[in-house]
Amino acid sequence: MSDVAVEQLTLELGEFALLDISLSLDAGEIGVILGPNGAGKSVLLETIAGFHRPAAGRVVISGREVTTKPPEQRHVGFILQNFGLFPHLTAAENISFGLHIRRRQRGSGEIAPLLARFRLEGVADRLPDTLSPGEKQRTALARSLITEPDVFLLDEPFAAIDTRTSDTLREELRQFIRDARIPALFVTHDHLDAVALADKIAVMWEGEIVQSGTPSEVFQRPKNRFVAEFLGVENILAGTIMARHAGGYSVYVGGQRLEVPPGNESLNAEDEVLLCLPADAVDVRQPGGAASLREFPGLIVAMASAGPLVRLTLDCGFPLTAHLLRRTVSERHLQPHQAVTVDIDPAAVHLIREP
Amino acid sequence: MQTRSARSPARPHGALALSFVLGGILLAFILLPLLALTAGQSPTALAQVASSRDVLDAIGLSLAGAALATLCAAFFGVPLGYVLARTSFAGKTFVSAVVDVPLAVPHTVAGIALLFVFGRQGLIGAAADAVGLQFWGTLAGVVVAMLFVSVPYTVNSARLGFEAVDPRLEQVARTLGLGPWHALYRVTLPLAWRGIMTGLTLTFARAIAEFGAVVILVYYPMTAPVKIYELFIRFGLEEATGMALLLLAVSLALFLLLRWLAYGRGHTSGLGR
Repeated sequence: MSDVAVEQLTLELGEFALLDISLSLDAGEIGVILGPNGAGKSVLLETIAGFHRPAAGRVVISGREVTTKPPEQRHVGFILQNFGLFPHLTAAENISFGLHIRRRQRGSGEIAPLLARFRLEGVADRLPDTLSPGEKQRTALARSLITEPDVFLLDEPFAAIDTRTSDTLREELRQFIRDARIPALFVTHDHLDAVALADKIAVMWEGEIVQSGTPSEVFQRPKNRFVAEFLGVENILAGTIMARHAGGYSVYVGGQRLEVPPGNESLNAEDEVLLCLPADAVDVRQPGGAASLREFPGLIVAMASAGPLVRLTLDCGFPLTAHLLRRTVSERHLQPHQAVTVDIDPAAVHLIREP
Repeated sequence: MQTRSARSPARPHGALALSFVLGGILLAFILLPLLALTAGQSPTALAQVASSRDVLDAIGLSLAGAALATLCAAFFGVPLGYVLARTSFAGKTFVSAVVDVPLAVPHTVAGIALLFVFGRQGLIGAAADAVGLQFWGTLAGVVVAMLFVSVPYTVNSARLGFEAVDPRLEQVARTLGLGPWHALYRVTLPLAWRGIMTGLTLTFARAIAEFGAVVILVYYPMTAPVKIYELFIRFGLEEATGMALLLLAVSLALFLLLRWLAYGRGHTSGLGR
């Protein structure tokens, strides 16, 4: 069992800074730090690994405070973009690299079961250049694992890997972390990594954690426009609260009235708000049918295919993006430049008070 | 796909053909004098030169001086290359320029400048004299003169070698349990090995070749280039040619050996496999 905690970490390093960063992970949990380039994500990982001395705060790994310890005494597994294998050593040499330093007592016979466990027997004598991304990831994990790390720190390992491959690698990684019962902190700018991997998410911006929580908390209740945009919320609309009542709020947006159930925020009439609405919570049909408060007349401005989905750009008096299944689009005979009825799921609407 | 098919046919052929021709002329310019030197040399004349005590002593002094200069370059130059590759500080551009200065200073000028510091009355020369180390007319002087003109190659080449190594690989090694020195030794040095060896090879070759700075700081005992010059002045072309050929053969053989050490041996160089 191991766990990791960062408490009120503060650091200034050239153009980067960390401001009062706190987070904690239990064994087998994956925490994803999500943020744009320059947010300080890598610096945070490097500080946890021991490469920078924080001005204030503590790093606690498996109950040991390591804030002032050098990296070689922290027992962290560090995995970089493209996995950071040593290019001059074979896969087997990479894996056994840390063996004789940390585990003097055991022989190198220990490598064989690891090679088998990570399905690397066939490529043990190959240089990293010649390995597939999957083999590289497994080599990097095995190399860390041999030193018995108490936490994995992963710095955008999939940043240079195509989407289809990284889907598979994410799944392998998640399975590995769960099985190994080791906490992992994963840093990325790609919200797809967060969706696929995270037990906890922290959104970081300019050295600060702007919002943190479970993936559903963060994705469904972004705290401000930056978080909403960064998490890829497709519809972020400016609106005004018309009235507050027992059933929630009546919101005025682009000449339309929308009934929204009460959320966590306490809002009052006249408050300026942002409506966050995921594109998959918008339905589009042929016009007609029973009118209700969640339905609006609209116009299909453009349609573009996005994998199994079709992205519809709509004009309902305000711009709106909808994602529909390809099949749904053809069954309903939806065409560009067509008048339609737009149905918004009020439960999916999240309101943010505009400052 | 489109860009590739649009790019591949025909376009560079004119320029490429011209480049081939110009490059060929340059190669001939380099090789022709060396071949001309080699041709028309009788083996007996060469054997006679090779058995001359003076000639062998001069070549031996050149080799010893160049080897020591290369060791000094490795000891002081490789760390400076590491610093220049890994850090940024105010005045770094100035330091890089200073490193290149010996390449720009005419070598006789360098010799005279060195005389001011390492000569009998020189800043370091006088102090060293007090403990029995003299630079004027000694092997130490040869080494100093050779080092001055040839060390930039080691610093610059080592710097390029270190710059090509991702510093985060050293970080990974640290997290795997290695101390900073150990990580440098097991990751960064092997990966920068080729750059370092290239620099040391160039330094060694340049040191053997040095004439101007050496001849001013140390006329006697004579290094090989100085001896060749003396033979040329005193006895003429024919006498000088035999020794020139001998020095050419020795330095080329060593140059090839060092290049092989840098590039040929996969395992130590790390990148060679």
